[in-house]
Amino acid sequence: MRYNEKELQALSRQPAEMAAELGMRGPKKGSVLKRRLVKLVVNFLFYFRTDEAEPVGALLLERCRVIREEPSAFSISFIEDPERKYHFECSSEEQCQEWMEALRRASYEFMRRSLVFYRNEIRKVTGKDPLEQFGISEEARFQLSGLQA
Amino acid sequence: MKLNERSVAHYALSDSPADHTGFLRTWGGPGTPSTPSGTGRRCWFVLKGNLLFSFESREGRAPLSLVVLEGCTVELAEAPVPEEFAFAICFDAPGVRPHLLAAEGPAAQEAWVKALSRASFGYMRLVVRELESQLQDARQSLALQRRSSWKSVASPCKPQAPNHRSAGLENGHSLSKDSSPVGLVEEAGSRSSGRGLAEWELQGPASLLLGRGQSPVSPETSCFSTLHDWYGQEIVELRQCWQQRAQRSQPKCEEQDKP
Repeated sequence: MRYNEKELQALSRQPAEMAAELGMRGPKKGSVLKRRLVKLVVNFLFYFRTDEAEPVGALLLERCRVIREEPSAFSISFIEDPERKYHFECSSEEQCQEWMEALRRASYEFMRRSLVFYRNEIRKVTGKDPLEQFGISEEARFQLSGLQA
Repeated sequence: MKLNERSVAHYALSDSPADHTGFLRTWGGPGTPSTPSGTGRRCWFVLKGNLLFSFESREGRAPLSLVVLEGCTVELAEAPVPEEFAFAICFDAPGVRPHLLAAEGPAAQEAWVKALSRASFGYMRLVVRELESQLQDARQSLALQRRSSWKSVASPCKPQAPNHRSAGLENGHSLSKDSSPVGLVEEAGSRSSGRGLAEWELQGPASLLLGRGQSPVSPETSCFSTLHDWYGQEIVELRQCWQQRAQRSQPKCEEQDKP
């Protein structure tokens, strides 16, 4: 699959939600823990060698699962292969919690669900559709029907 | 640069909502000349969030390409052949040439330009925060309305600060650079503090959390017992408030029932 690598690299240079040096281990068996600069930008998690400007790689965070690991660590896996884990080690409990919380909210799908939720709640309280005033109430991306269970 | 391609492809094919789909002619891809020529290649395109996938056909089992739609604008464009319905995705990034695409008619062209303009993560985040603060306002107004029935003097609500953000929400792409989540949260916070007397009565865990950008009614609050505690505490505090007022106005009255 081709993808716009240059643009993704540019994205990795944008202001990040979270950025820290963490221990990282890839999903392959026998992978070694390495120090990586890990950066969360929109719904991508970039990881860099600590002295390099271009990322080693990126993870798209849609439909991912973030699980607590011991000690002060978490792993990211994806729905189609839950045993294939990207492992991250933090320097403290707090840091681990912070990252897990941020990653949980990092997907576009999470935002979409939040939006639909708020739209519905506002309708219930005010009787009005809050998106109408912006002329975007019919946009596919804001529809409840677009969500699968 | 590595990418979790297998997961990305799986996401492309999954039942996650597609924001727009359709056939487009494309001139991009490796091996294509830097100046687009000819009629391009007809592919099936699927837009999911900020990701634009292309497939050989509607039944394609693997995406041909992915364009990540961050840091870009979408403009009408000239196609190399007299194709009237072309548009281009233009990136800020250096050395990146625009992705030229063409729709099959003017309605499709307009629909695609609109959908792609609003595809960025930042745009969605902007709309979510806007709705989050609107919900906060709506709930506060509702609470005020309920209280005005027993309050002898209703506190006037100050008019809301003009919403500069709203003008941009229709025209998605112009906001993708301006949307700063930190700035928006601050704006929401300062707006509520200018409300006047009624504001202090809402002090309690629910409103504190609202102030900090969390919401007791957001989908993040998956635990009902937490929700219950938040509202429960607010109710206890309000009740104490009411009881104090009742006792002040009728000092000889018997003590009211404890909760």
